[in-house]
Amino acid sequence: MNPKTYHHISSNPSSVKSRFTRGFLRAFKKIKRQQRPYLYGRVKIAADKSLALAVGSRRAWSRALLWKIHYKAWRQRSRFNNKKKLLKENKKNKKNKKKKNDDEEVGFRHAKELRKLVPGGEAMDLCSLLDETAHYIKCLITQVQVMKSVDQIYSF
Amino acid sequence: MDPPLVNESSFSAANPSSYSLAEIWPSPIHGAEAGLRMGNLGHGFGESSGHRDGSMEESTVTEQSGGGCGRKRRDNESNGKRTKISGSKNENGGSKAEAEATSVAGNKSADQSNKPAEPPKDYIHVRARRGQATDSHSLAERARREKISERMKILQDLVPGCNKVIGKALVLDEIINYIQSLQQQVEFLSMKLEAVNSRVSLSPTIEGFNSKDLGAPPFDAAGMLFGPQAAREYAHGSQHEWLHMQVGGGFDRAT
Repeated sequence: MNPKTYHHISSNPSSVKSRFTRGFLRAFKKIKRQQRPYLYGRVKIAADKSLALAVGSRRAWSRALLWKIHYKAWRQRSRFNNKKKLLKENKKNKKNKKKKNDDEEVGFRHAKELRKLVPGGEAMDLCSLLDETAHYIKCLITQVQVMKSVDQIYSF
Repeated sequence: MDPPLVNESSFSAANPSSYSLAEIWPSPIHGAEAGLRMGNLGHGFGESSGHRDGSMEESTVTEQSGGGCGRKRRDNESNGKRTKISGSKNENGGSKAEAEATSVAGNKSADQSNKPAEPPKDYIHVRARRGQATDSHSLAERARREKISERMKILQDLVPGCNKVIGKALVLDEIINYIQSLQQQVEFLSMKLEAVNSRVSLSPTIEGFNSKDLGAPPFDAAGMLFGPQAAREYAHGSQHEWLHMQVGGGFDRAT
Protein backbone atom coordinates (compact mmCIF):
# COMPACT_ATOMS: atom_id res chain seq x y z
CA MET A 1 0.00 0.00 0.00
CA ASN A 2 1.17 3.47 -0.74
CA PRO A 3 2.03 5.38 2.45
CA LYS A 4 1.93 8.69 0.63
CA THR A 5 -1.83 8.54 0.33
CA TYR A 6 -2.40 8.42 4.07
CA HIS A 7 -2.62 12.17 4.42
CA HIS A 8 -5.95 12.16 2.61
CA ILE A 9 -7.58 10.52 5.59
CA SER A 10 -7.32 12.90 8.47
CA SER A 11 -10.16 11.76 10.73
CA ASN A 12 -9.58 8.40 12.45
CA PRO A 13 -7.74 6.66 9.65
CA SER A 14 -6.72 3.51 11.40
CA SER A 15 -10.00 2.46 12.90
CA VAL A 16 -12.27 2.79 9.89
CA LYS A 17 -9.66 1.41 7.57
CA SER A 18 -8.78 -1.60 9.66
CA ARG A 19 -12.39 -2.33 10.43
CA PHE A 20 -13.32 -2.11 6.79
CA THR A 21 -10.41 -4.36 5.84
CA ARG A 22 -11.39 -6.98 8.36
CA GLY A 23 -15.05 -6.90 7.43
CA PHE A 24 -14.41 -6.93 3.72
CA LEU A 25 -11.92 -9.80 3.89
CA ARG A 26 -14.34 -11.82 5.97
CA ALA A 27 -17.16 -11.21 3.52
CA PHE A 28 -14.92 -11.92 0.56
CA LYS A 29 -13.77 -15.23 2.00
CA LYS A 30 -17.36 -16.13 2.69
CA ILE A 31 -18.29 -15.42 -0.91
CA LYS A 32 -15.37 -17.50 -2.06
CA ARG A 33 -16.29 -20.39 0.16
CA GLN A 34 -19.86 -20.57 -1.07
CA GLN A 35 -19.40 -22.03 -4.50
CA ARG A 36 -22.67 -20.78 -5.80
CA PRO A 37 -23.40 -20.05 -9.42
CA TYR A 38 -21.94 -16.77 -10.55
CA LEU A 39 -23.89 -13.97 -8.91
CA TYR A 40 -23.30 -10.53 -10.32
CA GLY A 41 -22.16 -7.72 -8.04
CA ARG A 42 -21.84 -9.62 -4.81
CA VAL A 43 -18.36 -8.33 -4.07
CA LYS A 44 -19.51 -4.77 -4.63
CA ILE A 45 -22.38 -5.22 -2.23
CA ALA A 46 -20.04 -6.82 0.30
CA ALA A 47 -17.57 -3.95 -0.04
CA ASP A 48 -20.27 -1.31 0.39
CA LYS A 49 -21.81 -3.10 3.31
CA SER A 50 -18.54 -3.59 5.14
CA LEU A 51 -17.62 0.05 4.55
CA ALA A 52 -20.94 1.22 5.96
CA LEU A 53 -20.59 -1.12 8.92
CA ALA A 54 -17.04 0.08 9.57
CA VAL A 55 -18.18 3.69 9.61
CA GLY A 56 -21.10 2.86 11.86
CA SER A 57 -24.43 4.54 12.26
CA ARG A 58 -23.23 7.99 13.27
CA ARG A 59 -23.04 9.13 9.65
CA ALA A 60 -26.15 9.68 7.58
CA TRP A 61 -24.67 8.32 4.36
CA SER A 62 -23.63 5.01 5.93
CA ARG A 63 -27.08 4.59 7.41
CA ALA A 64 -28.63 5.28 4.03
CA LEU A 65 -26.23 2.89 2.32
CA LEU A 66 -27.00 0.08 4.75
CA TRP A 67 -30.69 0.70 4.40
CA LYS A 68 -30.38 0.64 0.61
CA ILE A 69 -28.50 -2.67 0.66
CA HIS A 70 -31.03 -4.25 2.99
CA TYR A 71 -33.89 -2.91 0.94
CA LYS A 72 -32.38 -4.27 -2.27
CA ALA A 73 -31.86 -7.69 -0.73
CA TRP A 74 -35.39 -7.70 0.57
CA ARG A 75 -36.72 -6.66 -2.82
CA GLN A 76 -34.79 -9.40 -4.54
CA ARG A 77 -36.18 -11.93 -2.11
CA SER A 78 -39.77 -10.82 -2.52
CA ARG A 79 -39.64 -9.81 -6.13
CA PHE A 80 -41.93 -12.57 -7.31
CA ASN A 81 -44.41 -12.28 -4.50
CA ASN A 82 -45.74 -8.77 -4.59
CA LYS A 83 -44.68 -6.77 -7.56
CA LYS A 84 -47.54 -4.31 -7.57
CA LYS A 85 -46.98 -3.14 -4.01
CA LEU A 86 -43.36 -2.37 -4.71
CA LEU A 87 -44.22 -0.35 -7.76
CA LYS A 88 -46.58 1.73 -5.70
CA GLU A 89 -43.94 2.31 -3.03
CA ASN A 90 -41.41 3.37 -5.59
CA LYS A 91 -43.81 5.92 -6.99
CA LYS A 92 -44.44 7.31 -3.52
CA ASN A 93 -40.72 7.61 -2.82
CA LYS A 94 -40.14 9.51 -6.01
CA LYS A 95 -42.88 11.94 -5.19
CA ASN A 96 -41.39 12.62 -1.76
CA LYS A 97 -37.97 13.25 -3.17
CA LYS A 98 -39.21 15.81 -5.65
CA LYS A 99 -40.63 18.01 -2.93
CA LYS A 100 -37.36 18.73 -1.14
CA ASN A 101 -35.45 21.30 -3.15
CA ASP A 102 -33.81 24.31 -1.61
CA ASP A 103 -30.42 24.70 -3.25
CA GLU A 104 -30.84 28.13 -4.67
CA GLU A 105 -27.29 29.32 -4.08
CA VAL A 106 -24.91 26.67 -5.29
CA GLY A 107 -26.08 25.81 -8.79
CA PHE A 108 -29.26 23.83 -8.61
CA ARG A 109 -28.12 21.12 -10.99
CA HIS A 110 -24.85 20.44 -9.17
CA ALA A 111 -26.42 20.00 -5.78
CA LYS A 112 -28.97 17.70 -7.33
CA GLU A 113 -26.26 15.56 -8.89
CA LEU A 114 -24.36 15.46 -5.63
CA ARG A 115 -27.51 14.34 -3.88
CA LYS A 116 -27.80 11.46 -6.30
CA LEU A 117 -24.20 10.39 -5.74
CA VAL A 118 -24.01 10.54 -1.96
CA PRO A 119 -26.21 7.85 -0.43
CA GLY A 120 -29.07 9.34 1.50
CA GLY A 121 -28.38 12.77 0.08
CA GLU A 122 -31.95 13.44 -0.93
CA ALA A 123 -33.08 14.08 2.59
CA MET A 124 -30.30 16.43 3.71
CA ASP A 125 -29.95 20.17 3.70
CA LEU A 126 -27.00 21.66 1.88
CA CYS A 127 -24.66 22.07 4.86
CA SER A 128 -24.94 18.50 6.04
CA LEU A 129 -24.82 17.30 2.45
CA LEU A 130 -21.40 18.87 2.00
CA ASP A 131 -20.27 17.52 5.35
CA GLU A 132 -21.37 14.01 4.46
CA THR A 133 -19.79 14.34 1.06
CA ALA A 134 -16.41 15.10 2.60
CA HIS A 135 -16.61 12.08 4.87
CA TYR A 136 -17.91 9.89 2.07
CA ILE A 137 -14.99 10.86 -0.17
CA LYS A 138 -12.53 10.00 2.58
CA CYS A 139 -14.15 6.62 3.07
CA LEU A 140 -14.26 5.94 -0.65
CA ILE A 141 -10.54 6.62 -0.86
CA THR A 142 -9.86 4.12 1.92
CA GLN A 143 -12.15 1.63 0.23
CA VAL A 144 -10.28 1.92 -3.04
CA GLN A 145 -6.91 1.58 -1.30
CA VAL A 146 -7.93 -1.52 0.62
CA MET A 147 -9.57 -3.15 -2.37
CA LYS A 148 -6.52 -2.47 -4.50
CA SER A 149 -4.27 -4.16 -1.98
CA VAL A 150 -6.66 -7.10 -1.67
CA ASP A 151 -6.67 -7.39 -5.43
CA GLN A 152 -2.88 -7.34 -5.49
CA ILE A 153 -2.77 -10.11 -2.93
CA TYR A 154 -5.23 -12.31 -4.78
CA SER A 155 -4.00 -11.76 -8.30
CA PHE A 156 -0.56 -13.23 -7.58
CA MET B 1 -30.68 23.30 27.61
CA ASP B 2 -30.13 26.11 30.01
CA PRO B 3 -31.53 29.17 28.17
CA PRO B 4 -35.05 28.61 29.51
CA LEU B 5 -33.65 28.33 33.02
CA VAL B 6 -31.69 31.52 32.55
CA ASN B 7 -34.80 33.13 31.25
CA GLU B 8 -36.84 32.26 34.31
CA SER B 9 -34.17 33.23 36.77
CA SER B 10 -33.55 36.53 35.05
CA PHE B 11 -37.21 37.36 35.07
CA SER B 12 -37.58 36.45 38.71
CA ALA B 13 -34.60 38.69 39.39
CA ALA B 14 -36.06 41.39 37.21
CA ASN B 15 -39.54 41.33 38.64
CA PRO B 16 -38.70 42.55 42.16
CA SER B 17 -37.16 45.68 40.76
CA SER B 18 -40.25 46.51 38.76
CA TYR B 19 -42.43 45.78 41.76
CA SER B 20 -40.35 48.06 43.92
CA LEU B 21 -40.68 50.73 41.28
CA ALA B 22 -44.41 50.30 41.26
CA GLU B 23 -44.47 50.63 45.03
CA ILE B 24 -42.27 53.69 45.05
CA TRP B 25 -43.95 55.49 42.20
CA PRO B 26 -47.74 55.72 42.34
CA SER B 27 -50.19 55.25 39.51
CA PRO B 28 -49.69 58.29 37.18
CA ILE B 29 -46.07 57.39 36.52
CA HIS B 30 -47.18 53.80 36.08
CA GLY B 31 -49.23 54.89 33.11
CA ALA B 32 -46.28 56.83 31.76
CA GLU B 33 -44.17 53.72 32.20
CA ALA B 34 -46.57 51.68 30.15
CA GLY B 35 -46.37 54.25 27.38
CA LEU B 36 -42.61 54.26 27.51
CA ARG B 37 -42.51 50.50 27.43
CA MET B 38 -44.62 50.47 24.31
CA GLY B 39 -42.29 52.96 22.66
CA ASN B 40 -39.19 51.07 23.69
CA LEU B 41 -40.49 47.79 22.41
CA GLY B 42 -41.25 49.54 19.15
CA HIS B 43 -37.64 50.50 18.46
CA GLY B 44 -36.14 47.69 20.49
CA PHE B 45 -34.43 46.08 17.53
CA GLY B 46 -32.67 49.16 16.36
CA GLU B 47 -31.56 50.03 19.85
CA SER B 48 -30.16 46.61 20.61
CA SER B 49 -28.17 46.47 17.41
CA GLY B 50 -26.85 49.96 17.95
CA HIS B 51 -25.84 49.10 21.49
CA ARG B 52 -23.95 46.06 20.26
CA ASP B 53 -22.16 47.91 17.55
CA GLY B 54 -21.12 50.61 19.93
CA SER B 55 -19.97 48.37 22.72
CA MET B 56 -17.98 45.80 20.82
CA GLU B 57 -16.57 47.60 17.80
CA GLU B 58 -17.02 44.62 15.47
CA SER B 59 -19.87 43.15 17.36
CA THR B 60 -19.67 39.43 17.86
CA VAL B 61 -23.22 38.33 18.27
CA THR B 62 -23.68 34.89 19.70
CA GLU B 63 -26.72 33.39 18.21
CA GLN B 64 -28.21 29.95 18.41
CA SER B 65 -29.29 28.37 15.18
CA GLY B 66 -32.54 26.94 16.48
CA GLY B 67 -33.73 29.14 19.32
CA GLY B 68 -31.68 32.20 18.72
CA CYS B 69 -34.67 34.46 18.90
CA GLY B 70 -35.22 33.76 22.57
CA ARG B 71 -32.02 35.37 23.70
CA LYS B 72 -32.44 38.32 21.43
CA ARG B 73 -35.87 38.97 22.80
CA ARG B 74 -34.53 38.83 26.32
CA ASP B 75 -31.86 41.32 25.43
CA ASN B 76 -34.40 43.64 24.00
CA GLU B 77 -36.52 43.46 27.08
CA SER B 78 -33.63 44.18 29.36
CA ASN B 79 -32.75 47.13 27.18
CA GLY B 80 -36.31 48.29 27.32
CA LYS B 81 -36.29 48.12 31.09
CA ARG B 82 -33.08 50.05 31.33
CA THR B 83 -34.33 52.82 29.11
CA LYS B 84 -37.63 52.81 30.93
CA ILE B 85 -35.92 53.32 34.22
CA SER B 86 -33.75 56.03 32.82
CA GLY B 87 -36.85 57.71 31.46
CA SER B 88 -38.45 57.75 34.89
CA LYS B 89 -35.19 59.13 36.23
CA ASN B 90 -35.45 62.05 33.83
CA GLU B 91 -38.92 62.79 35.08
CA ASN B 92 -38.23 62.78 38.78
CA GLY B 93 -34.52 63.24 39.32
CA GLY B 94 -32.14 60.66 40.77
CA SER B 95 -32.95 58.50 43.76
CA LYS B 96 -31.26 55.55 45.43
CA ALA B 97 -33.90 53.02 44.53
CA GLU B 98 -33.57 53.80 40.87
CA ALA B 99 -29.82 53.62 41.01
CA GLU B 100 -30.12 50.21 42.59
CA ALA B 101 -32.59 49.13 39.99
CA THR B 102 -30.33 50.21 37.14
CA SER B 103 -27.39 48.46 38.73
CA VAL B 104 -29.46 45.30 39.06
CA ALA B 105 -30.46 45.60 35.44
CA GLY B 106 -26.85 46.13 34.43
CA ASN B 107 -25.69 43.08 36.37
CA LYS B 108 -28.45 41.04 34.91
CA SER B 109 -27.58 42.00 31.37
CA ALA B 110 -23.92 41.30 32.12
CA ASP B 111 -24.92 37.88 33.42
CA GLN B 112 -26.91 37.26 30.31
CA SER B 113 -24.09 38.22 28.04
CA ASN B 114 -21.67 36.07 30.00
CA LYS B 115 -23.78 32.98 30.34
CA PRO B 116 -24.37 32.14 26.67
CA ALA B 117 -20.65 32.40 26.04
CA GLU B 118 -19.94 29.48 28.37
CA PRO B 119 -21.37 26.62 26.30
CA PRO B 120 -19.68 27.36 22.99
CA LYS B 121 -20.87 24.25 21.20
CA ASP B 122 -24.46 25.31 20.68
CA TYR B 123 -23.74 28.81 19.51
CA ILE B 124 -22.55 30.05 16.17
CA HIS B 125 -20.37 33.11 16.25
CA VAL B 126 -21.32 35.50 13.54
CA ARG B 127 -19.21 38.51 12.90
CA ALA B 128 -21.23 41.46 11.65
CA ARG B 129 -19.18 44.26 10.21
CA ARG B 130 -20.34 47.81 10.15
CA GLY B 131 -23.06 48.34 7.61
CA GLN B 132 -24.22 44.76 7.58
CA ALA B 133 -27.69 43.85 8.68
CA THR B 134 -27.99 42.45 12.18
CA ASP B 135 -31.53 41.16 12.32
CA SER B 136 -31.92 37.51 13.06
CA HIS B 137 -32.77 36.33 9.55
CA SER B 138 -29.80 37.85 7.83
CA LEU B 139 -27.52 36.72 10.65
CA ALA B 140 -28.75 33.17 10.27
CA GLU B 141 -28.37 33.39 6.53
CA ARG B 142 -24.82 34.68 6.87
CA ALA B 143 -23.99 31.90 9.30
CA ARG B 144 -25.35 29.36 6.86
CA ARG B 145 -23.38 30.81 3.97
CA GLU B 146 -20.19 30.83 6.03
CA LYS B 147 -20.80 27.22 7.00
CA ILE B 148 -21.29 26.23 3.37
CA SER B 149 -18.15 27.99 2.22
CA GLU B 150 -16.21 26.35 5.04
CA ARG B 151 -17.40 22.93 3.95
CA MET B 152 -16.54 23.78 0.38
CA LYS B 153 -13.02 24.65 1.47
CA ILE B 154 -12.68 21.31 3.23
CA LEU B 155 -13.90 19.54 0.13
CA GLN B 156 -11.51 21.53 -2.02
CA ASP B 157 -8.62 20.39 0.13
CA LEU B 158 -9.85 16.84 -0.12
CA VAL B 159 -10.25 16.60 -3.86
CA PRO B 160 -6.94 16.69 -5.73
CA GLY B 161 -6.51 19.39 -8.34
CA CYS B 162 -9.47 21.35 -6.98
CA ASN B 163 -7.56 24.18 -5.32
CA LYS B 164 -6.99 26.12 -8.49
CA VAL B 165 -10.60 26.02 -9.58
CA ILE B 166 -12.57 29.19 -8.86
CA GLY B 167 -16.31 29.28 -8.49
CA LYS B 168 -18.62 27.07 -6.52
CA ALA B 169 -20.23 25.46 -9.52
CA LEU B 170 -16.92 24.36 -11.01
CA VAL B 171 -15.69 23.08 -7.66
CA LEU B 172 -18.88 21.07 -7.28
CA ASP B 173 -18.37 19.75 -10.78
CA GLU B 174 -14.89 18.59 -9.83
CA ILE B 175 -16.20 16.98 -6.66
CA ILE B 176 -18.91 15.17 -8.55
CA ASN B 177 -16.41 13.92 -11.11
CA TYR B 178 -14.10 12.74 -8.38
CA ILE B 179 -16.84 10.85 -6.54
CA GLN B 180 -17.96 9.27 -9.78
CA SER B 181 -14.44 8.17 -10.60
CA LEU B 182 -13.99 6.71 -7.12
CA GLN B 183 -17.25 4.83 -7.36
CA GLN B 184 -16.28 3.50 -10.75
CA GLN B 185 -12.95 2.41 -9.34
CA VAL B 186 -14.71 0.53 -6.57
CA GLU B 187 -16.96 -1.10 -9.10
CA PHE B 188 -14.05 -2.04 -11.31
CA LEU B 189 -12.09 -3.46 -8.41
CA SER B 190 -15.03 -5.48 -7.21
CA MET B 191 -15.49 -6.84 -10.73
CA LYS B 192 -11.85 -7.77 -10.74
CA LEU B 193 -12.13 -9.47 -7.40
CA GLU B 194 -15.19 -11.32 -8.56
CA ALA B 195 -13.26 -12.48 -11.57
CA VAL B 196 -10.49 -13.67 -9.28
CA ASN B 197 -13.10 -15.40 -7.23
CA SER B 198 -14.63 -17.21 -10.15
CA ARG B 199 -11.23 -18.09 -11.53
CA VAL B 200 -10.34 -19.73 -8.25
CA SER B 201 -13.59 -21.68 -8.32
CA LEU B 202 -12.80 -23.09 -11.76
CA SER B 203 -14.48 -21.87 -14.88
CA PRO B 204 -12.37 -22.23 -18.01
CA THR B 205 -14.51 -19.91 -20.16
CA ILE B 206 -13.80 -16.93 -17.93
CA GLU B 207 -10.09 -17.74 -17.82
CA GLY B 208 -9.35 -16.05 -21.12
CA PHE B 209 -11.31 -12.97 -20.14
CA ASN B 210 -9.36 -12.78 -16.92
CA SER B 211 -5.96 -12.87 -18.53
CA LYS B 212 -7.00 -10.11 -20.89
CA ASP B 213 -8.39 -8.07 -18.04
CA LEU B 214 -5.34 -8.43 -15.84
CA GLY B 215 -3.10 -7.55 -18.74
CA ALA B 216 -4.49 -4.02 -18.63
CA PRO B 217 -2.20 -1.37 -17.09
CA PRO B 218 -2.53 -0.96 -13.31
CA PHE B 219 -5.14 1.57 -12.31
CA ASP B 220 -4.61 4.64 -10.17
CA ALA B 221 -6.67 7.65 -9.25
CA ALA B 222 -5.04 9.97 -11.77
CA GLY B 223 -5.64 7.58 -14.60
CA MET B 224 -9.15 6.87 -13.47
CA LEU B 225 -10.10 10.53 -13.65
CA PHE B 226 -10.10 10.26 -17.39
CA GLY B 227 -11.65 6.84 -17.22
CA PRO B 228 -15.28 7.49 -18.15
CA GLN B 229 -14.57 8.70 -21.68
CA ALA B 230 -12.34 5.79 -22.51
CA ALA B 231 -14.87 3.41 -21.03
CA ARG B 232 -17.62 4.96 -23.09
CA GLU B 233 -15.66 4.65 -26.29
CA TYR B 234 -14.86 1.08 -25.51
CA ALA B 235 -18.50 0.39 -24.83
CA HIS B 236 -19.50 1.87 -28.19
CA GLY B 237 -16.98 -0.20 -30.03
CA SER B 238 -17.93 -3.41 -28.31
CA GLN B 239 -21.59 -2.75 -28.90
CA HIS B 240 -21.04 -2.34 -32.62
CA GLU B 241 -19.09 -5.55 -32.76
CA TRP B 242 -21.72 -7.30 -30.79
CA LEU B 243 -24.45 -6.06 -33.12
CA HIS B 244 -22.42 -7.17 -36.06
CA MET B 245 -22.07 -10.62 -34.62
CA GLN B 246 -25.77 -10.72 -33.89
CA VAL B 247 -26.61 -9.80 -37.43
CA GLY B 248 -24.14 -12.31 -38.75
CA GLY B 249 -25.62 -15.03 -36.57
CA GLY B 250 -29.07 -14.15 -37.81
CA PHE B 251 -28.00 -14.52 -41.41
CA ASP B 252 -26.41 -17.83 -40.64
CA ARG B 253 -29.56 -19.00 -39.05
CA ALA B 254 -31.63 -17.73 -41.98
CA THR B 255 -29.45 -19.52 -44.56
